Amino acid sequence: MSMAMDQRAPAHETAKAPQGERAPARIRARGLGKRYGALQVFRDIDFEVGEREIVAIVGPSGCGKTTLLRCINGLIPLDAGEIVANGERVTQPIAGMAMVFQHFGLFPWKTVTANVAYGLRMAGATRAEIAEKVPYFINLVGLAGFEHAYPYQMSGGMQQRCGLARALAIEPNVLLMDEPFAAVDAQTREILQFELLRIWSERPTAMVFVTHSIEEAVLMGHRVMVLKGRPSSIFEMVDIDLPFPRNRSTLLHPRFAKLREHVWRCVMDEAQAAERELHV
Amino acid sequence: MSDAALPAAVPARKRLGLSDEALARIVCGLAILAVWEGAMRLWAPPFIARPSGIAVAFWPTITSAAFLEAAGATLGAMAQGLAIAVVAGTVIGLAIGRSWIADRALHYYVNGLFAMPMVAILPLLTLWFGYTSGARLATVVFASIFAIIINVSDGARSVPREYIEVSRAYRASGFSRLMEVVLPASVPYLLAGLRLAAGRALIGAVVAEFFAALNGLGYFILFNTRTFKHNEAFVAVLCLACFGVAVELMMNGATRRYLPWYRREDRGA
Ligand SMILES: Nc1ncnc2c1ncn2[C@@H]1O[C@H](COP(=O)(O)OP(=O)(O)O)[C@@H](O)[C@H]1O
Ligand SMILES: [Mg+2]
Repeated sequence: MSMAMDQRAPAHETAKAPQGERAPARIRARGLGKRYGALQVFRDIDFEVGEREIVAIVGPSGCGKTTLLRCINGLIPLDAGEIVANGERVTQPIAGMAMVFQHFGLFPWKTVTANVAYGLRMAGATRAEIAEKVPYFINLVGLAGFEHAYPYQMSGGMQQRCGLARALAIEPNVLLMDEPFAAVDAQTREILQFELLRIWSERPTAMVFVTHSIEEAVLMGHRVMVLKGRPSSIFEMVDIDLPFPRNRSTLLHPRFAKLREHVWRCVMDEAQAAERELHV
Repeated sequence: MSDAALPAAVPARKRLGLSDEALARIVCGLAILAVWEGAMRLWAPPFIARPSGIAVAFWPTITSAAFLEAAGATLGAMAQGLAIAVVAGTVIGLAIGRSWIADRALHYYVNGLFAMPMVAILPLLTLWFGYTSGARLATVVFASIFAIIINVSDGARSVPREYIEVSRAYRASGFSRLMEVVLPASVPYLLAGLRLAAGRALIGAVVAEFFAALNGLGYFILFNTRTFKHNEAFVAVLCLACFGVAVELMMNGATRRYLPWYRREDRGA
């Protein structure tokens, strides 16, 4: 516990970063705030994501994780602050960023091949590039043999593999993941977590990984951002000094249990407070 | 999925139930034919249509040059009119579904014209187009286009927000979003509209032929009825009913063949 407290450092003092190479930053977010009408979702959010760093975001459902990702992606406007990604101020979706959606976001009228090709085509790739890259990425996510399948013919896990391939195919330098494995069963989820880590270590990028699973956040992230409060803000940025490459043995690492416990406490004392509120 | 989940006894009972149903249908059909035939023999003059007369007249009629020409004219006008209605109706429907301004501007007119019986506008159309096949084509288009517009605009309006977001996240242009996301997502609605429109188009073509005395199945029926060839006229009526069934079957086939994802989603929901 005290060990974990020692780890707590302001986000800009990142020199002793354990793994993630944090400088130069791929995403720089300053003073982010977002409202939906009268509902202030989050405020005063500052963070950076390094070129080869995974920042995991945890927080209770409804705390604005999806909203934050959509702002980073430029899908919805901010009310305060600014996001700079790839050296460009984000006001609308920019090149080099790809989102993996919680409910996959596959087009049901397109086959796996056509879905994976979609991002590439929209990015203006040539036919030759598409013909070369699509099979490569379908293979990379383990969907070989399902090129002509439609989403309805596949399990949730396979659909998300397809969503992942579509995002990876544009070879983004920022990957945004919105609870990508929340809609698949527990075993598939574990398999996909380790596959994503394998794929990431082959081709590291900046990644923002939103999850409501504390375990998943600690497993995936170089750092874990704990969002809480109403409106929510960053409660703590936890350094996860577990070695990379991460794999199943990471789960058995004694540090893993300690860090998970620490993040759990960060997230939970709000849950307890909320419960107390209910009983007042 | 349902097949695997059901116990083995159920499909057997289902099969039995189906044949029961078919049997009931056949018995009922035969009873109607018998009553019809009997009533005609008892009370009607011989030129009035009756099942035995229709059966005898069936083959000679549908192979006669006059019938084939008439059927060709009616179906041709219907196909041509539906093609125009599908293209124009889809464009207008997408505009209404995706553009707030187009919706405000056109909503009441489209709904009003959809509800209006096309027979009412037929005299005006013959005034504009003369007693020509142009008037029939216009009637077919008029009869069918609003069903398409209304369905496509519903479809375009209810494209899941997620799909729009995906296309925006991948930086698709507005035009590409319309063609590659909004249009395909609206195709099931377009087919539902087309199903409705096809029936209305056929009615429109036949009514226009009645009204403007244009060569076609409508006029074929009118002419044969007036010349006391009721059996022949009734053969044409049967053929019109068959077209309706054929269109339905073609639509189902096209949905299964070209929109496999749609039926599946339907069943899953
Ligand atoms: N388009 C919207 N309009 C109004 N309120 C919204 C909208 N999207 C989300 N919200 C609200 O904002 C809050 C945060 O939502 P969200 O970002 O989806 O949370 P999370 O992803 O953490 O579960 C929720 O209270 C939700 O009801
Ligand atoms: Mg969410």
